[in-house]
Amino acid sequence: MQLGSAKQTVTLVAGDTWPQQRTGEATLGAQVYRANGCVACHTTQIRQDGIVCDVVITKPGKNPSAVSNLLATLKLSGLSKEQADEVAGKFTEAGASSETHIAASGPDIKAGWGVRRSVAADFLYDTPAQLGNLRVGPDLANIGARSVASLLMQRLYAPQSIVKGGAMPSYKFLFEVRKIGSVPSAEALNLPKEFAPADGYEVVPKPEAKQLVAYLLSLRADVPLYEAPFTPVAKP
Amino acid sequence: MSEEKQSCSQPCNAEPTATRSTVPMWILVVTLLLLFVGFVFFDKKSGWFDSKVYAPFGTADQLANSQPASEAMKLMLTGKAKYEMFCGSCHGSDGAGKPGTAPPLAGSELVIAKGFHRLTLIPLEGLVGPIKVKGQEWNLNMAAMGASLSDYDLAAVMTYIRGSWGNKASEVTAEDIKTIRAEIGSAPAQIQGAKLMDLPE
Repeated sequence: MQLGSAKQTVTLVAGDTWPQQRTGEATLGAQVYRANGCVACHTTQIRQDGIVCDVVITKPGKNPSAVSNLLATLKLSGLSKEQADEVAGKFTEAGASSETHIAASGPDIKAGWGVRRSVAADFLYDTPAQLGNLRVGPDLANIGARSVASLLMQRLYAPQSIVKGGAMPSYKFLFEVRKIGSVPSAEALNLPKEFAPADGYEVVPKPEAKQLVAYLLSLRADVPLYEAPFTPVAKP
Repeated sequence: MSEEKQSCSQPCNAEPTATRSTVPMWILVVTLLLLFVGFVFFDKKSGWFDSKVYAPFGTADQLANSQPASEAMKLMLTGKAKYEMFCGSCHGSDGAGKPGTAPPLAGSELVIAKGFHRLTLIPLEGLVGPIKVKGQEWNLNMAAMGASLSDYDLAAVMTYIRGSWGNKASEVTAEDIKTIRAEIGSAPAQIQGAKLMDLPE
């Protein structure tokens, strides 16, 4: 009832359209993800318990002593929205301008898997939406923002080289081990010694691996939406 | 078991028949209580099936109250809207420019320069003649597109183009625009492209 009417929307702040259609390669990658049963061990949905607010002073105003007095006595971070509004009101009374920074909270957010909860709009172009219901591995809803292609490739070929003793099986069949030709391939994986093939050989991803990685990189839930608001932190 | 003694009001071998009896009061009370609790829960948690309301938010009001509101964000959103209206048709919604029409803004040295004085003069006064953007020569004529915008709107557009498409330059405030406008005075003259780089950044 709620989700049938989901449609493309715009992000807060930048006002870009959301979600964007995946590239062709990433669309194919979704099927590779499906075919290899990634969804059996990985979810792509982040949960959220609530929001926490921080009050940040933007302009101290003309009464710095009163403001510093408030700064010393009031709690400024980890507030609820109501508390934050109250604190902001006190700063306004003291003549300072402040901003309330909103962040999502919850175990998944704390684990670093994302910055906000997943909402229906994130899955608008997915058929089927591969939400997953078991977390043997980490959640992948925001993997595109958390990882890079080379690391994902290495993880697919030799997961043990990144997490020793991890539960993830190797997806070696998505790669080709071949003799190095006259020039080494630019796509060849850069592996630690014990996982590298014999001298004179290199590991290159097959098209399926490239598609899968393109799909993984297209999984992002890092922009604020109206239904899942947060204040984006400016990246340095 | 079959030996159990039975007391029968009717002949014991008669078919049992249902008779009327009142519903016990406790069932009514429990049902009403459950309904009440259910409605209270629904009221608090459902968001009234609003497609925008997800947990942890309970109501549309609560969600609206939790929207991040900052000056910087308002500036960017206004800037985007004004950019699409006044600039986007030539410079492109993605800031990539159009060959033969307008140079790119994304990654342009003029746009991401530390100071914004020179950049702001372009929409305020217009620009004609050859300039160099990202190593490419452009010889075009741009009207003073920004002259009709308010200080705030122009500041928003400047902030938007300096902070979008991978650009990461500082924001511009309405006061900055006001200062620059005062410098120009009432008779702006179109900037000559060749002299653009002589202007202070």
